[in-house]
Amino acid sequence: MAHDKRHRTLEGETVNLGFQIAPMIDVVFVIMLFFMVMAGAVKVERELKTQLPGLGTPAVTNEEVPPDEIMVTVEESNVVTLNEEEFDSPTDKALPNFTGTLMRLKQEADHRGAKVMVTIQAEEQARYERVIDVLNSMAKAQISNVTFTIGGDDF
Amino acid sequence: MAGGGGSTESGEPEFQIAPMIDVLLVLLIFFMSITSAQVLRIDKDIKLPVAADAKKKEDKNAMFEAAINIRWIPTQQKSVIKLDTQELENEEIVNILTERKNNNPVYRAIIRGDRDVPAVEIQKVMALIAQAGIDDISFSALNQDS
Repeated sequence: MAHDKRHRTLEGETVNLGFQIAPMIDVVFVIMLFFMVMAGAVKVERELKTQLPGLGTPAVTNEEVPPDEIMVTVEESNVVTLNEEEFDSPTDKALPNFTGTLMRLKQEADHRGAKVMVTIQAEEQARYERVIDVLNSMAKAQISNVTFTIGGDDF
Repeated sequence: MAGGGGSTESGEPEFQIAPMIDVLLVLLIFFMSITSAQVLRIDKDIKLPVAADAKKKEDKNAMFEAAINIRWIPTQQKSVIKLDTQELENEEIVNILTERKNNNPVYRAIIRGDRDVPAVEIQKVMALIAQAGIDDISFSALNQDS
């Protein structure tokens, strides 16, 4: 380093600012460390899509066949009811009976050419995780028309 | 291979900088590719619910979506709402979302709620999104419990 400095001061006009490999490696190392640390936070994120009613373009409805309306209730105690009938135990995340019933209802409605409209009514203090369990069952049954009702307001 | 063996005439192995840079760059590209912008915006304090049958995210362009993180503080029994990484007042969230929606008609919102959040808190966030005129909403979930 000392030799370089002397060299530069003596021949100031011919300073050679050539490509320096050492700082480049330093920077690359730092960037790589950053991405390595961030890689630890990678989780496969999935999404449950929904469309708010009243804002988007209205769906084309078949006037001749009225839609099947299903009311699903999610209680604070994790109990899930379908048209006031209780399904599965509150600790069962997979909700097999509930999902099976939804699938049958969907198939039957498809045969008639009717749409299935589900309204999820969750109690105010019901856990969000349970609501997602219900939405997951809807996704499994390929039901996409879902409305939310919490505390008396529709969304 | 003559002259390319990375050793001096005395047989001592020599440190080669060029292959090292090659390897470093490959590693860098690998880690860059697996780190998405979404990862940077996920609040680490949020435990997302699990939904094994949810779809994989189709559009990975984070520019057209707002991530709304809802964290639950059980000790205080209150929720903290963050738009992307900023903790804002409800009115500010609505204003920002409205502006983004006006600039981009296909703008959408992703709700990343903690699994313990009461449903009423999610409803409040949905109300904010609706106020901003955004109708395309997704609920974020993980494919499996980590």
